[in-house]
Amino acid sequence: MSDPLLTVTGLRAGYGPVQVLDDIHLEVNEGEVVVILGANGAGKTTTMRAVSGTIPRRGSIVFRGQDITSVGPEVIVRAGIALVPQGRGTFPELSVEDNLRAGAYTRRDNIAADITRWFDVFPRLAERRQQKAGQMSGGEQQMLAIARALMSRPKLLLCDEPSLGLAPLITKELFRHLEDLNREEGLSILLVEQNANLAIHMADRVYLLETGRVVGSGTGATLQNDESVRKAYLGF
Amino acid sequence: MARFLQYLFDGVGNGSVYALLALGLVIIYRGTGHLNFAHGEMALLCTYVILQIHQWGLPVGLALPLGMVFGFGLGAVTEVALVRPIGKKSPFAVFIVTIALFTGLNWLCGAIWGSVALPTAAPGKAVSYPKLWEVGDRFVRIGGATWRYKYITLLAVVLVLAVLLWLLFSYTRLGLAMRAVASNAGSAELVGIKTSRVLMISWGLAVAIGALGGFMIAGLVNQVNLTLMLTPFLYASAAATLGGFDSPGGAVFAGLFLGVVESMVSQYQPTWVGNEMKQAVALLIILVVLLVRPSGLFGTSKVERV
Repeated sequence: MSDPLLTVTGLRAGYGPVQVLDDIHLEVNEGEVVVILGANGAGKTTTMRAVSGTIPRRGSIVFRGQDITSVGPEVIVRAGIALVPQGRGTFPELSVEDNLRAGAYTRRDNIAADITRWFDVFPRLAERRQQKAGQMSGGEQQMLAIARALMSRPKLLLCDEPSLGLAPLITKELFRHLEDLNREEGLSILLVEQNANLAIHMADRVYLLETGRVVGSGTGATLQNDESVRKAYLGF
Repeated sequence: MARFLQYLFDGVGNGSVYALLALGLVIIYRGTGHLNFAHGEMALLCTYVILQIHQWGLPVGLALPLGMVFGFGLGAVTEVALVRPIGKKSPFAVFIVTIALFTGLNWLCGAIWGSVALPTAAPGKAVSYPKLWEVGDRFVRIGGATWRYKYITLLAVVLVLAVLLWLLFSYTRLGLAMRAVASNAGSAELVGIKTSRVLMISWGLAVAIGALGGFMIAGLVNQVNLTLMLTPFLYASAAATLGGFDSPGGAVFAGLFLGVVESMVSQYQPTWVGNEMKQAVALLIILVVLLVRPSGLFGTSKVERV
């Protein structure tokens, strides 16, 4: 088997004196959807921040053969990892179209075709292209945040709780989009999600996080049938 | 009517200067969220530097751009060496640092160039700060009022600069990056923008524009001295507040507006208001506007749907 797209080994990170991640090991293979499950404070968001380069970290993060452990976020996005951060990862004062332009900041080639393409995928954004992002609904902003991340043409999309604060129907639509992107474009996705039932269905593999460590992993199907996992994470 | 036009023309002249300085304040505030209290004194230092370069024998057409480059460097170094490291610890400390710079730069100018107004008059010649175009006291006559060339030039410079800035913000990669950093610095990093470089450029650009402002004020009063920038800076901060601290267009409008108000109240009411009270009237107007619109006339209040 070929090398994984992303290999994280012995990752430690935190905020100032507080260490949140103790010893994280995980892998994402080309074309996979990998889901991280865990309770509040387990370190899911911190893991995403560490991989995208926005906080100091130790250990080793290798992406497509390149060591990205100690480089800044602007290098990591150029390497092909794009993060949709928790909450609203948009520029509220910028128009929808300018948000997409900013998303393609690393690219020097023509981006008009990409803008048209994401407008086709997310028609709601096309209707509001001149509107300021901050004036849109939460669901629309989340779609925009994803489209913005995709404008950099990433190989790996990191999604930090995209369903946060969204109505169930909107969440479903959002996940359908993510699944399509994975199936049709071969986009690899690393997803953190509170809504474990929904996430586990589309996951190729799942990691379970507890207080800054990986305490279990497996394919989506096996974990779904595991009694203790169901109790702890799926609630049935 | 002639009187009204006259006061309007005079007011727009001073207002242009306030607008120039306010633009710099707004660019810095949009980028880093700091009020640069030393903006006027940074411009003052540049104004002296331009004069110095000119007195070394270079033509004004070279001395002015060199002074603006010096201003760019001054702003950029201030951001990198002082504002960024201190801002990480406390935004309030940055405010104190800019106050320290305010007094420090004024002292520095005094130490180098002395407290006498420059340039000093040569025997038999009037004092004259170097200018790009010598328009003297010529004017055009409109509706019985005189509009001096120097005020027209000032207004033209401000309007051209405002358009250039608008083009920069709206249509360039750097402008997009500056707006993105101002809107959401965290997400700006995530799309690959080097936020630190953008902030450095913002400060540099602001002080370079300040240098132009100082140059024009000195040209207007034909000299540079240590108190030259005090009143213009007060009005510029007021204009930035009135226009909305995140709106360059608002800063230009409010700067011109304050200049006109200042001119109108002091000349229509010379006994009630006069020169002593005109600043108070301008500040009173701002107070009233801010009571109704706390984010200024053109500022955006941060509202976000969730």
